[in-house]
Amino acid sequence: MTGYERDARGQGASTLLIVEDEILAAMALRDELEDAGYRVMDLTGRWQEALAAVKDCKPDLALVNIRLHGRDDGIVLAEDLKAQGIPVLFISGQESRARSAQTAAIGSLPKPYSVADMVVAVAYLLAHLKGDDSLPRPATLEVFDHEANGTPRAA
Amino acid sequence: MAVVEASPGPLLLLDGDLQVVAVSGSFLDAFGIDADTARGRPLASLGGGEWASPKLRSLLQATRSGAATIAAYEMDLERSGQPARQLVIHAQRLDYLDLENVRLLVAIADVTDARADEAARALAMRENLVLLQEVRHRVANSLQIIASVLLQNARKSGSTETRGHLKDAHHRVMSIAALERLLAGSGEDRVELHAYFTELCGSIAASMIADPDLLSLVVEGGRGVVDSRVSVSLGLIVTELVINALKHAFPDNHRGKIVVACDFRGANWTLTVTDDGVGLPTDPALVRTGLGTSIVQALAQQLQATVEITSANPGVCVSIDHTHIALVDSAPAPPSLTGRAAQSK
Repeated sequence: MTGYERDARGQGASTLLIVEDEILAAMALRDELEDAGYRVMDLTGRWQEALAAVKDCKPDLALVNIRLHGRDDGIVLAEDLKAQGIPVLFISGQESRARSAQTAAIGSLPKPYSVADMVVAVAYLLAHLKGDDSLPRPATLEVFDHEANGTPRAA
Repeated sequence: MAVVEASPGPLLLLDGDLQVVAVSGSFLDAFGIDADTARGRPLASLGGGEWASPKLRSLLQATRSGAATIAAYEMDLERSGQPARQLVIHAQRLDYLDLENVRLLVAIADVTDARADEAARALAMRENLVLLQEVRHRVANSLQIIASVLLQNARKSGSTETRGHLKDAHHRVMSIAALERLLAGSGEDRVELHAYFTELCGSIAASMIADPDLLSLVVEGGRGVVDSRVSVSLGLIVTELVINALKHAFPDNHRGKIVVACDFRGANWTLTVTDDGVGLPTDPALVRTGLGTSIVQALAQQLQATVEITSANPGVCVSIDHTHIALVDSAPAPPSLTGRAAQSK
């Protein structure tokens, strides 16, 4: 168990939602995050399934790819999740799109990411949401901080 | 006059009243003007009056008086029923002893097609760049999937050794994937090494260093830019050497530090990976060669660099040295990799 994994376990099994159209990437991510002590909801790559899933269980953080199955769009999903009070981390290689939609998310860890970096990023963001910025932060994690009115603020 | 008339580029010789004294055949052809209607006529009356530009007239008058010289005046030539032509005009007053008869030599370059070609090339370059970024984006995504599969295979493997090999392969794929991501974002084919190594080492540390308070991995220097082809090799070398140091230099929770540094001296550079661990094995029987060693040797050779391993007291320093001047004079010495760095498998 790494130091970061202990950090995650120490937070008391936060729940995560992964919305990713590449099932193999999603599975690797899920396994690593579960090893780190998080509870990961059933994997999905679709907008409708993701919204249906959060009706039953509200995750502490949703990891959302911008490109989803069919014509589903991760940015639209992020806006819908945000409306329900669920923070979103973009996990997409489309960095410029993620940045342009930063009011819908709290950060972006662009592909290709290492799953180890993702574990560190998730621990950091969950602590960051509680006002604690003391945990390590991956160099590739971009954090979108917002003013009270929802407009982006330089992190 | 004969020189003007024979000029391959559009050329006019005007008098002090801006009337045409001589005109080149190339001018008449280019702008559809009849030779008989040109000579002795005011410039402004040529063709359908399209040369009657007040600004051009004003500039030519200034040139005639010696107050100015038209170096590269650009104007659009508008002709009825024809697309506008973009012209660049140069005018020079010709000074003779006969001060009564001022002459102006006017050269006209039609840059319409050149400008259109230039714009088309710029557009094609922009489109190619977008295409290249899209390809890199897809390559990075594909590498992400490959890395995920390797990681899943490692998890399912019952053999510790196999698991180690698969995780090493995962790191190698991720080192290239990280580079592709940087290249896709930059829009160039060059990489700033410090940013790349920082990202690379951050990922390796996150997955391999259990206690960051006990063991640290830092990147120093490297404030230089290299071609993507060089950076992919350097990234893989750093990956191998760092993994090797993490596996072998700090047994039994040994406290320590690994430093990755790149020093640039013009076209030359030296990459070093230094640790303050347990150092080289004293027993030669423990020295083995494996895939990691082969990769470092092969990539150093590809980069026309030499590999040197020295004791860092404590620990080990591996230097990859590229000396461009030496390459011109002589073939590079074959890299030798021995000692602890050769323990990786």
